[in-house]
Amino acid sequence: MPMLGAAQNSVTITLDGDPPVFRVQGSSILPRLTSPNLINIFKVSVDKDDVPQMTGDYSMQGATLVFSPAYRLEPGVSYRAVFHLAGEHGSGVFTPPKPKPVPTTVVERVYPTASELPENQLKFYIHFSAPMSRGDASQRIHLREESGAEVKLPFLELDEELWDRDYRRLTVLFDPGRVKRGLLPNEEVGPALIQGKRYSLVIDAAWPDAVGVPLKQGFQKNFRATAADRTALDPKTWRITPPIAGTAAPLIVDLNEPVDAALLLRFIDVVDRKGKLIKGVVTIEREETRWVFSPAEAWTAGEFRLEILTTLEDLAGNKIGHLFDVDNFQKVDPALKTEIYSLPFKVK
Amino acid sequence: MYPTRVLSVFLLAALTLSAEPAAKMSASLQPGKAALKSAGPLAFGPEGILFVGDFMGASIFALDTADTKAAKPASLDLAGIDQKIAALIGTTADQILINDMAVNSISRRAYFSVSRGRGPDGTPVIVRTAGAGNLEILSLDNIRHSSVGLPNSPAMDAKDRRGTSLRLEAITDIGYAEGNVIVAGLSNEEFSSNLRSIPFPFKEASAGASVEIFHSQHGRFETNSPVRTFTTYDIQKQPHLLAAYTCTPLVKVPLSDLQPGKKIKGVTIAELGNRNRPLDMIVYKKGGAEFILMNNSSRGVMKLPAAKLESYEAITAQTEKKGIPYETIESLKGVEQLDRFDDANALMLIRSEGGSVDLKTVALP
Repeated sequence: MPMLGAAQNSVTITLDGDPPVFRVQGSSILPRLTSPNLINIFKVSVDKDDVPQMTGDYSMQGATLVFSPAYRLEPGVSYRAVFHLAGEHGSGVFTPPKPKPVPTTVVERVYPTASELPENQLKFYIHFSAPMSRGDASQRIHLREESGAEVKLPFLELDEELWDRDYRRLTVLFDPGRVKRGLLPNEEVGPALIQGKRYSLVIDAAWPDAVGVPLKQGFQKNFRATAADRTALDPKTWRITPPIAGTAAPLIVDLNEPVDAALLLRFIDVVDRKGKLIKGVVTIEREETRWVFSPAEAWTAGEFRLEILTTLEDLAGNKIGHLFDVDNFQKVDPALKTEIYSLPFKVK
Repeated sequence: MYPTRVLSVFLLAALTLSAEPAAKMSASLQPGKAALKSAGPLAFGPEGILFVGDFMGASIFALDTADTKAAKPASLDLAGIDQKIAALIGTTADQILINDMAVNSISRRAYFSVSRGRGPDGTPVIVRTAGAGNLEILSLDNIRHSSVGLPNSPAMDAKDRRGTSLRLEAITDIGYAEGNVIVAGLSNEEFSSNLRSIPFPFKEASAGASVEIFHSQHGRFETNSPVRTFTTYDIQKQPHLLAAYTCTPLVKVPLSDLQPGKKIKGVTIAELGNRNRPLDMIVYKKGGAEFILMNNSSRGVMKLPAAKLESYEAITAQTEKKGIPYETIESLKGVEQLDRFDDANALMLIRSEGGSVDLKTVALP
């Protein structure tokens, strides 16, 4: 059913079609003009005062004037269409219907999953069940003490917001200035987390998803802050449980400490003696302390190795052989390269 | 909001002398549809060429705005500009995000990168001022342009062979200096500085180089924290990058140091206090002295003396915390975007207490 505007005199304005277009019918003057200035004759805008006309294309289809908006109309927003030509007038306000919002989106999980986090914890990954909207994150995420008191500005507020391409995962960084030793914020207001205290990461239910509908429910992750982690990642302490040749059993690597969940999926490869990549699927278990690799094909006996990027990070951003904040800045490597740490294992 | 940057007048003068013949720059741009996936940080290059950071497409676009007619309007003010931009694209202010603002120093028109819709399928739109109180869309359907994919960080090149990555890099700032587009990025996974210098005109074979900038704190701690915003400025006639980090220090790096594959140590020249995130920086001259003006995430606008930056050596001891002295301009609140308008004025996007956003020309303090 086309929406009908309140018509005056003989001019009728309708909004119909897919995508919807505005049509003016019944003008007896317009078809007789050779080059009418349509943008001044028929004005379509958001139904507010003192705003510019909407961008779009005008055309004549027979005796009907058609305005095609350059951008799709927004459900729930009212549009005003006004026709004025000599003695002919017409106007209408059109509101494309907005479906009743039914909240369905939820927070699926938050990494790290552990309930104890070092006081120099660097980031959270928040996974949602559906795409979210950008621009609200800093207002919708809170860090609360056990008493319910809000920790002030614990996170790095970035208007860019660190989403993935689908806006289903948000990366929240603790304010690095408060985490790093030797910086003014760290010395003046101290770290956001204090060892021994209990905290909750709280996500508001009112946070709108990508279609503007709030979350189905809020989310809370409770944790206790432990001592700061100021040791580099050391794969030498990892324990590899090699699979048996001829089986497609998973390769299990116990990591000795929780490691960044996102980087664990990308930064470790399995290669054979000649460096050929072994294909397979990685899963992360036991609160990000276990890396499990399920090969696409059965293992053959022989020598293999894990190739690990040294830029892998633990929960506090410490890398392999490199702390988040290093204490010997004179020793900056002259050449920029991403190094690979090799950890050999045998399949028998 | 994304930071904006403007080259200092002094550097611009240097560019005019050393730049390639004018025709050569825009000759590299080809007509057609500029298929941006998103419109983030903006920066003007020579000849009215607008650089747009496309964070969703992981690329930088160069657009020929053809906006090269010199003009010297006294001011540029537009109340409720967020509502007006939204209406122009047929929606309401709560459905758009104004990601960045940049002033074309030739025409003194302001350009805005806008997301129509706040979800991942938001439509990128470039809007610019058009005469007194008017706005128009810069059509991307048929515009002379070129683009370059952001070169992968070493981590991306070396790994990510499973094709399931959620990694994406936010572009925190872009700028143009001495024939290069400088891009500061921040990954949503690994925490590191990622600054790229990409030669313009863009060449397919060379997507530029990734450099890491380390900066030292109080002589003790080194980090490679991401750059939040930057500007360029001559220190003792050498163009320098002045970069503000996500963790507040202001660091200087000679532009000539931005070489492929190089690890650079920046020198911390100021710490700007806690809970203070710089958004944009501009450099200007007033009463014979040079200053840096910086707006921060709703925590005021700061003014720093820019002269003799060479004299502010590295902050190396706990007793020398502050480096360059700065003052906070109390009369300016809610400044979300900042760019240089002319020699005496800045252009600002200011969020009022009522929530609406106004475009205002403000005399440089």
